[in-house]
Amino acid sequence: MKYLTIPLALAGAISLNVQVTAAETILNVASGGSENMVQYVTDYLGPMFEKQNPGVKVRVIGTGPGDAGTQKIIEKLEAQKNAGKETWDIDVAVGNQQKTAELVNMGLLKSYRAKISTGSLATRDTSKMALGVNVDGYVMPMFHSQTAIAYNSDLVATPPGSYDELRAWALKNPKAFGYNGIKNGMSGVSFVVGWMYAYAGDAAKLQNGPYDENTKGNWDGALSNLKAFNENITFTPGNAGTLDMLNRGEIAMGPVWVDMFYSWQADGRIPPNLKLKLISPGMPGQPYYYSIPAKAANSDLAMKFIELATSPKVQAEGIVNRFNWYPGIDAMHVEKSLDPMVWKKLFTDVTPDELAANGKPFPIAPYFSDIKEAYELKVSN
Amino acid sequence: MATDTQANGPNRIISMVLVAPSLLMIALLFLYPLGFSVVSAFAESGSWGLANFYKAYQFYSRDILFTIVIVLISTALVGLFAIAIGGYLTLGENPRAVAILRWLYRWPLFIPFIVSAQLMRTFLAKNGMMNNVLIELGLLDQLQSVSFLDWRGIVVTFVWKQTPFVALLVAGAMAALDRTTIEAARNLGASRLRILIEIIIPQIATTLMVGLILTYVVIMSVLSVPLMINAQSPTMLTVDMAFRINSYGDYGVANALGIISYLITGIVAWFYLRQGLDNGGSPK
Amino acid sequence: MMTSRKNTFSLSLGISAIARVLILGLLAFVIFGPITNMLLWAVAEVWYYPHKLPLEWGFSFWERVFRPQGNAMESLITSVAIAVLTVIVSMAVAIPAGYALARGRLPWRNIILLLFLLPQAFPAVAVHMNIARIFYGLGLTGTVGGVVLVHALQGLVFAVWIATAAFSAVDPELESAARSVGASRVRAFFDITLPLALPGVLASAIFVFLISMDEFTGTYFVGAPDVVTVPMLLFTSSMEGNYQIASISSLILLVPSVLFMLVIEKFLKADVLAKVGT
Repeated sequence: MKYLTIPLALAGAISLNVQVTAAETILNVASGGSENMVQYVTDYLGPMFEKQNPGVKVRVIGTGPGDAGTQKIIEKLEAQKNAGKETWDIDVAVGNQQKTAELVNMGLLKSYRAKISTGSLATRDTSKMALGVNVDGYVMPMFHSQTAIAYNSDLVATPPGSYDELRAWALKNPKAFGYNGIKNGMSGVSFVVGWMYAYAGDAAKLQNGPYDENTKGNWDGALSNLKAFNENITFTPGNAGTLDMLNRGEIAMGPVWVDMFYSWQADGRIPPNLKLKLISPGMPGQPYYYSIPAKAANSDLAMKFIELATSPKVQAEGIVNRFNWYPGIDAMHVEKSLDPMVWKKLFTDVTPDELAANGKPFPIAPYFSDIKEAYELKVSN
Repeated sequence: MATDTQANGPNRIISMVLVAPSLLMIALLFLYPLGFSVVSAFAESGSWGLANFYKAYQFYSRDILFTIVIVLISTALVGLFAIAIGGYLTLGENPRAVAILRWLYRWPLFIPFIVSAQLMRTFLAKNGMMNNVLIELGLLDQLQSVSFLDWRGIVVTFVWKQTPFVALLVAGAMAALDRTTIEAARNLGASRLRILIEIIIPQIATTLMVGLILTYVVIMSVLSVPLMINAQSPTMLTVDMAFRINSYGDYGVANALGIISYLITGIVAWFYLRQGLDNGGSPK
Repeated sequence: MMTSRKNTFSLSLGISAIARVLILGLLAFVIFGPITNMLLWAVAEVWYYPHKLPLEWGFSFWERVFRPQGNAMESLITSVAIAVLTVIVSMAVAIPAGYALARGRLPWRNIILLLFLLPQAFPAVAVHMNIARIFYGLGLTGTVGGVVLVHALQGLVFAVWIATAAFSAVDPELESAARSVGASRVRAFFDITLPLALPGVLASAIFVFLISMDEFTGTYFVGAPDVVTVPMLLFTSSMEGNYQIASISSLILLVPSVLFMLVIEKFLKADVLAKVGT
């Protein structure tokens, strides 16, 4: 008999735990983004929203970074849809571009932008189209992120300004450039996409369509050059691996996500002498989106939450000032409510002009898949 | 007719009743959902059969080979070290050394794979902690230092993490052995190595093999280690499966790779089970 | 207890003592090198190359993990409770199964054993979504029971295979002997066979516990958002190379795991001693 008491006591303890929280309304926010994004909602946005809405608790679930993180949100929603549930247990989803587009295509999201007061503040292309998919109405950008080349300013006095210069530099400095291929982390994927924009012909067509499946036949030159380029560089284990190797001086240069770069610097994991450069003709960046699942249990509350999250004040104070991200809503609305010094700090390494000229979107979905498969077959195989 | 040779074992019906709960669990929680995966792959593409397998082969043949090699090397090393640790714990003559070893060997067991992988990434790198320590001790020259973040890093991490698992099982089985034969052999002057190989290992072979097969399966299924440690281009199948799903939403090829990966495991396990049946009537 | 130590020349004794120290030292470096790395990261505030040790030390990352919004303690309690329940469930199904697989007359015994390997060997990524769907249908999502079942499934292969090996290692003659002096089948099992197989079975309990403590994916699909365990709280940080958070979370999980092992061993020793008495 005494063996039974342990599980019973345990079950009791847990149900007590669950009951305490069940007294309030819980807004479930699933974030398929980086660590700093999860932290942003847990520590900054969540408490602020709770204060404004007594009796509401914001609960954040981090599903991991990159494609895999948002993919987990898709799968969880799809499971609920297939099970025929009337209400779903995720109220706000934070996802990347490619996967949020898939969510829209799968009919798993609710159109809400017209219903919130901040809906008109985001007018960039990214709030309407995501990799060639029309997402107008279903998303609000949380922030924009960008990939760039990070370099050790002690070792590299004048960083290359373009892919051509980078190739020349890498040839002169064997193994000093490093990136993470395409299988573990999006910073490597971005580098490859930038390469294709530079060397595979019509970059505008890759970004805007229309899709033509024969296009990939013209990529052999770009791919074989990339394969040759790969001979002379160092491969790194993942997005974090690139930053690690830069940190330890094992490589002098490599592609990174700008926001991740800054948060590593803030956490003391990389030295202050690392700097960023956005090279021409451009590297891709993407927004992360707030979206609301089609059958979210608390969809009104979710809209209120997103309204707060995309208000100029929060975008200025939270997104730009605290976390060093490029704002999700249009810059002019944000700049107004910011100290000019703070706004400048955002553009220390990458100037607004460079960003405008060299910050590119990812290719439309079918070309994106073609590029990745072509890389797998012809470059890494 | 019922009670002669198998008198001490439960009969067919009782056996099936005893296995039923666990089988039911596998069936309901795994086979049934797995069936959905297979069926949905059918329904979507129309040709589940060879197209996905062909693509899996075309894209990932090198990775399949790489995976097999890594798994075999790692499992063999795990077995070797586990026997060495278990053997010393059983036959060691210096009580203090035995006590230290007993305290020492288990720690990696408690570090999750995802953390082990992270730690090894900063530990095994060219300018990582291991090389730093070796350089400080004067055992290594700065210029000779190399990075182990490739297949060696994967093997090192798996062996580091899995050896305690098998060693714990093996040491437990060795401790439970009847010591009279061991003492007898020792009194006859047999060396400890010989006692280990000729007397102890045959008796704990079942446990050892089970530990190794489980290790083999674990290595086949862990994603974080190859993902976080291996920077080079042939990589392990788990990485490819995750990549197919996360990047392309392609469950078909991922499932095909899954079946290939299961076959790689199943063949080894089957071989072991057959072997057990042939050597003497009662399995193993 | 030990027979007298063999006579050896003092020289070779000296060499073997040095070799012993060297080997143990090397082993300690291999095992504790990465763990020291972890301990350093857990208290490092600023640490970048070429500094071989952290530049600034402190506990600000511990504060981050244990801040009130983080719910770390609550999740730890949930994690431990789920792990213990998982062990109970797995043992309850694995012990009879292992006994039957080792001793019974089962058709397709090998196929059954291979079946248990399946959840580990097949990529769970493709299956979890369907598991989630079935659990949603049954109303098990968001419940502790659901999470325990998913964890038990992952641990089952260890529990069943190890239990089978443990039971096969017990000499069947002992049970026959007990039966021949009139013990019932059940009595013979509990008095003779189970105690002898117990070391192996309990070792598998430790693994099941560890698997449950570390599990993320299944917990996410079946438990989230209502059941939150430690790996769920820290998954994103750990995945993304926040070494400080990853190290701290691993230390948090280490404490209950080591305690669990010590409890099991204590229990084990008592039991083995008791058996010697009879």
